[in-house]
Amino acid sequence: MLELLQSIPFQPTWLALPVALPMAAAGLLLAVARLGFRQRFRLQRWIAGVVAGIHVLLALLILAHTLAGDEGARIVYQMGSWPAPFGITLIADSFTAIMLLMTALLVVAVVPYAAGTLDHHRESMGFYPLTLLLLMGMNGAYLAGDLFNLYVFFEVLLTSSFVLLTLGGTPGQINGGIRYVVLNLMASLVFLSAAGVAYGTLGTLNMAQMAQRMDIAPDAVRILLAGLMLVAFGSKAGLFPLFFWLPASYHTPHPVVTALFGGTLTKVGVYTLFRLFPLFFPGLLVAWQPLILTIAALTMLISVLAAFVQPTIRRLISFDIISQVGFMLLALGIALDPRAPVTGFALAAGIIFIVHNMLVKTALLMGGGVAELEMGSGNLGAIGGLAAKRPYLAGLFFVAAFSLAGIPPSSGFVSKLSLLQATIGVHQYWMAAVSLLVSLLTMMVMIRLWQYIFWGEFTTGHAQWTPLRKPWASWLTLGPITVLVALSLTMGIFFRPVLHVAQKAANQVLDRTGYIAAVAPLADVPVEPEFWEPPQ
Amino acid sequence: MIELYLRLLDRVLTPLLLLIGVVLLLRGHDAPGGGFIAALMVSAAIALQILSNGARLVRARIGRALQPLIATGLLLGVGSALLGVFTGQGFFAGIWWSIHWGPIDYKIGTPVLFDLGVFLAVTGATIAFMLGLSTNVIETTDEPRLGKRPVQHAAQPARRGEEAQ
Repeated sequence: MLELLQSIPFQPTWLALPVALPMAAAGLLLAVARLGFRQRFRLQRWIAGVVAGIHVLLALLILAHTLAGDEGARIVYQMGSWPAPFGITLIADSFTAIMLLMTALLVVAVVPYAAGTLDHHRESMGFYPLTLLLLMGMNGAYLAGDLFNLYVFFEVLLTSSFVLLTLGGTPGQINGGIRYVVLNLMASLVFLSAAGVAYGTLGTLNMAQMAQRMDIAPDAVRILLAGLMLVAFGSKAGLFPLFFWLPASYHTPHPVVTALFGGTLTKVGVYTLFRLFPLFFPGLLVAWQPLILTIAALTMLISVLAAFVQPTIRRLISFDIISQVGFMLLALGIALDPRAPVTGFALAAGIIFIVHNMLVKTALLMGGGVAELEMGSGNLGAIGGLAAKRPYLAGLFFVAAFSLAGIPPSSGFVSKLSLLQATIGVHQYWMAAVSLLVSLLTMMVMIRLWQYIFWGEFTTGHAQWTPLRKPWASWLTLGPITVLVALSLTMGIFFRPVLHVAQKAANQVLDRTGYIAAVAPLADVPVEPEFWEPPQ
Repeated sequence: MIELYLRLLDRVLTPLLLLIGVVLLLRGHDAPGGGFIAALMVSAAIALQILSNGARLVRARIGRALQPLIATGLLLGVGSALLGVFTGQGFFAGIWWSIHWGPIDYKIGTPVLFDLGVFLAVTGATIAFMLGLSTNVIETTDEPRLGKRPVQHAAQPARRGEEAQ
């Protein structure tokens, strides 16, 4: 399989496709939006689904090529043949390819789900073009080789997600949407300040060149930049004191939008933290370990405790999303610990955790969404007893929930186990205890959720959604969930190749010199030394 | 009475803003300017129209053109970037031609096309945002949602901007 994919030649130019293709497809969808009248959504669905499918193949190809050799390889494309610090650099390594693959997979899963559940109004307001633009923003953020383009793609992502969030325009959505956009714009502002500080002090925004100059920069610059980036991306990822935008908004839109967001958006923030901190601040990652681990522990604990008292399905899962992000930050916190017996194992565990989480969280949100649409409401106090009516859904949800809790043979078990091994390996026993406790609490939350939705007498609450009767609806909704749950189980059972790939990806992320050498920035941009002198 | 002054003012300002927008668009590839700024300039002209004539009139005039505008912009942007791939110079490579025709000496190339794409997409999106925001604020309309028939009110007072007709 791997050899077959590696035998297909890959032009570095094609690295632009994950950005260009969804953009072109979104343009095409808007252009044909009025063609075909009643049948027009069928055309939109097919185009969106096929484009996402092409992305999966493309990401597989990139993954195969970045895994070549013992060390792995990097694919670099300098747009328009402008050399590195002057032009736009796109760079992919195995971690990028894994994220591209997972995101494309989730979009492939979401498109049929949307076709089965979305109402006419929301489909006609452009769900599919917006999803493609969101995909473009995420792909661009994964591939960006300089800080400014990273910012731009984060904005593309934010703008399309904001429109998706308010698609349908109910008062609750506008309320959640305003909080979402204000808090996210504040994070973007912090990010933009970081970019400004970086340009003013380091004289460059190219990430490879920034990494070069970060080594000779004074401590003040490094600490300021690290702090700004931790706040900016920590907010996007949903870390402890900055996660409020997430539970305030994720339960308001149509379930399909929540499923799309829950699997992807926070993970882009986590990806950026994983990418930038080992590249820019390897020293600070060790020095700030107590801070990072404290944030991770608080994120895990507080949000899992908050999940216990949430009144609706999607509010509960939203808090659970945040709690799982804490595990990922834990992996980053111990990634460069000098006591680690195997370098990069902690980060590999983190990458596996991200992949597991993207699969399972989307499956859970999709399953919860089907239940919510079926019973007309997500209010846990009022609904119940769906197991008798939809036994297959109950089974799928059960497996997904237990995968999240970390019961073997699911992906949750292996990812939590490897993370626990890495944590104990660096003698962080307190963090190991906290992560075990949070796993236990997560399991209790998930059992509670399953029990509320599926157990007992069948009752429905005050109907917020009118159940749609679309053709093929149960196939279109349960099919993708089945695929995601099956992928989670496969990952848990055939763990060795997954670990191998993740270990390679983690080593590539930690290999700063390789990254800098791959981009090979020219050193012609003058550094402004006067900024570096302390004021007299 | 604010609308009267505004309407007098925008007879002068709207063509001026549109003209500045075009100038900014055409010089943007080498000099200060560019598609994004030009688009904001043109959107400012439309914002003035919304304030003076009301969102309803503006929507009736250009509302249907917005989605095709965004679509054309996106396709033009990607297309201009892809031209370089077809000539073998790579994605986003700049390809330039010169136009010498009488007094006109203008350099045209894929960056200009890309700027035009940005211009169209940003114009369409910004105007759509502004129309969406002003629908319920500047005048309460019974704008029909897609797929629904407009609600007919029994006694409707004359709307601003339409008394003259």
